Amino acid sequence: MTASIGRGLVLLSLLFASAGTVAAFAAFLKKRADLTRAAVWSAYGFATTMTLANVWMVIGLLRNDFSISYVAQVGSIDLPTWVKVVSLWSSLEGSILFWGGVLAIFIAIGTLSLNDAHGPARPAAIGVWLATATFFCFLIAGPAQPFGAVANVPLDGPGPNPLLQNHVLMAIHPPFLYGGYVGMTIPFGLALAALMTGRLSPTVLGTIRTALLAPWTFLTVAVVLGGWWAYEVLGWGGYWAWDPVENASLLPWLTATAALHSAILTERRGVLKGWTMSLVIASFLLTILGTFMTRSGIFNSVHSFTQSAIGPTILVFLGATTLASVLLLGFRVDLLRPDGELDRGASRDTAFLAQNMLFVLFTFTVLIGTVFPLIVEAVRNVQMSVGRPYFDRMTVPIGALLLFVMGVGPALPWGASSRDEIKRRLLPPLGMGFVALSIALVFGIRTPWTLITLFFAGYAAHVTLFEALRPARTRMKFRTDGFLKALSQDIFGPGLRRFAAYVAHAGAVTAFIAIAVSSTSGRSVERSLKQGESTTLGAYTLTFEGIEREEEAHRTSLIARIGVKKGETTLEPLRPMMNQYRSQRESIGTPAVRTGLIEDLYLSAMNIDEDNQTVGLLVMINPLVSWLWIATVIMAIGGVMALSSSLRVGRTVEARELQAEVVG
Amino acid sequence: MNKGVLAVGLAVTLPLLGLLLLNLGRNPSAIASPLIKKPAPDVRMKNLSGGGSLQLSSLRGQPVVVNFWATWCIPCIQEHAALTAAARTNPDVTFLGVVYEDTTENALSFLAQRGSAYNSYADDDGKAAIAFGVYGVPETFFIDAAGTIVDKYVGPLDDDTLFAKLSAARK
Repeated sequence: MTASIGRGLVLLSLLFASAGTVAAFAAFLKKRADLTRAAVWSAYGFATTMTLANVWMVIGLLRNDFSISYVAQVGSIDLPTWVKVVSLWSSLEGSILFWGGVLAIFIAIGTLSLNDAHGPARPAAIGVWLATATFFCFLIAGPAQPFGAVANVPLDGPGPNPLLQNHVLMAIHPPFLYGGYVGMTIPFGLALAALMTGRLSPTVLGTIRTALLAPWTFLTVAVVLGGWWAYEVLGWGGYWAWDPVENASLLPWLTATAALHSAILTERRGVLKGWTMSLVIASFLLTILGTFMTRSGIFNSVHSFTQSAIGPTILVFLGATTLASVLLLGFRVDLLRPDGELDRGASRDTAFLAQNMLFVLFTFTVLIGTVFPLIVEAVRNVQMSVGRPYFDRMTVPIGALLLFVMGVGPALPWGASSRDEIKRRLLPPLGMGFVALSIALVFGIRTPWTLITLFFAGYAAHVTLFEALRPARTRMKFRTDGFLKALSQDIFGPGLRRFAAYVAHAGAVTAFIAIAVSSTSGRSVERSLKQGESTTLGAYTLTFEGIEREEEAHRTSLIARIGVKKGETTLEPLRPMMNQYRSQRESIGTPAVRTGLIEDLYLSAMNIDEDNQTVGLLVMINPLVSWLWIATVIMAIGGVMALSSSLRVGRTVEARELQAEVVG
Repeated sequence: MNKGVLAVGLAVTLPLLGLLLLNLGRNPSAIASPLIKKPAPDVRMKNLSGGGSLQLSSLRGQPVVVNFWATWCIPCIQEHAALTAAARTNPDVTFLGVVYEDTTENALSFLAQRGSAYNSYADDDGKAAIAFGVYGVPETFFIDAAGTIVDKYVGPLDDDTLFAKLSAARK
């Protein structure tokens, strides 16, 4: 009974989505306002029923209703409540249902934010969104049905994959990832709408920018949360392994970041409209590619869902949307005529172009590395894996160049300027570059790419700080305001968007530094210790004090208590553990991390032997890793600030355009 | 119509879509090899810690598991515990590791850190990897007592798969 209510909700949402798609495209073609209204209400109908279907599943999970096939598959009575809730996205069918739920929220907000100022782009965009929704509803109603009926209702279920129960990050990472992935549908629909209507109005461009900023912010956090999860859970001491699924989350982030920047050129100069639309479209297609990669079972990954029947269905969707997008671009892109010209020479325009090229190059590098095993297999019928060496060798120089452009670009003026002016802007930040370089050398860093990165980071940090505060400083000079007053007037006034961009840049510079240092300057040692024995690494002395046992309803944990001394100071003991989950044979480790601003002390128990009282311990000192998390928070704050500025500006642009239409 | 955009768009996306289509139904962990049911190549490999070497044919008469691995390979780290455990619980089978595109120094410190239950060998000039047709790591070959390759596994092994493959090699 409960399962059939869920199925009913899914079918209803399929009905709303498909009927709304037809209504929206008909409204676009026939320019009929009544059909547009029908499409809008269908969108809300889809959003409501799909949200309810998600709520229904969560209720089923909480009530241990094993008559629902998905609950029988991943539920378990003994689970903590938070695990029950996050089980919604812990396995394939539920994750697609959750996708539908997130899509429902985005489509509702998207539909709400469109109005008459968007002109014919409004029904066109709603049509694309609902067509996407139709596909996912079909997937949920058919091949990935989570509300299947269970013939013999079991008394208890197995619970979700233990790796996913092992850390609370599993509750946070997927919602952010889905916010990023699913959210790309909204700018995608608007970009296709611009191509369909043959016009990219400032209103539509502004909405695309806003619609892109939201998933970009989610994705920024999600990519790093994925790394944080790997760092805190997998126990090998790193946060990024160029795993196909990690790459899948990075790819749309790269193109979306490029799109956010080229949109600025489109906005200021009226150029690169087709290019910006292509990047927006690519960001969406890459999210679908990522979904295919994680759910088709054709890639080996620690993050992957198991092989499933929905791979071919997703591929059909990916193929259809890709071809439709390419054809639409090919046939309609010339209608998006430029309104101005790019400035050539040493100007900020050029820096933006260089940045875009580098991001696209980065995207292709990662994409090729990820699918290369498939190419080799298709051509020669043999398997291979592309390891870290390829990715590091290819992406480190591109990353360093990006950092260089991030430093030089904002320092350059818009448009042409004299050689002296350029010198005056580009030379002073070199000082900070050399300061960063000297600090690195003092701390014993000798890896060439790390030194180059840190030099560029110093340069970019100077430029970012200087540019972020420039309007406030001008205010101080001309109005003799205090610094805080000037800054707050700028940020709470017209300067928010500009300031937000530099906040995001500051986060990016910090991330570059953290990645460069942590990936090349860590130290590690692995020892097997008997009770009472010690080992040292750097300033730390680690003593294996004994084994503790912790019983919980869903797991048993063996904990190695490790006494930690830094120099002569005794610190809190660390407790890396091995968890044995009920109904799972292999145990899973949880590393213990002492997080610090300078370095992390990372302990991972490879094995804990209760009989012999020994522990196999991996000890690592990972410098500056926590700055990567901090950097992400800074970038996300930049994203949220930009989003709020963009919402504010969006309203004024719309008002202006409406007024123009009324007047015209 | 912009023919250039159309041509570039199709040139980028069609091969990628075709590639994904070709690979549908692919199981990344199982693939046929032309070497299966053929005699294992009789390679000679140097001991990792220096001194001595191993001729593969000298192991005839017992099932052999040959695991190609590298320290930079995350799946190899994943499967290491399963392989080590299997080697300890199956004394009738000889396990051996072959280090693939990695330095001896890295491999030795990896083993010192993570423990080992069987010998690994250096394959400096890649002769063994070429003879076995290895294209990536981890790749594991199961050889029966007569010296015939009975199975091959690509990707990280888990306990169950290992158990099944070992039974096949024992027959």
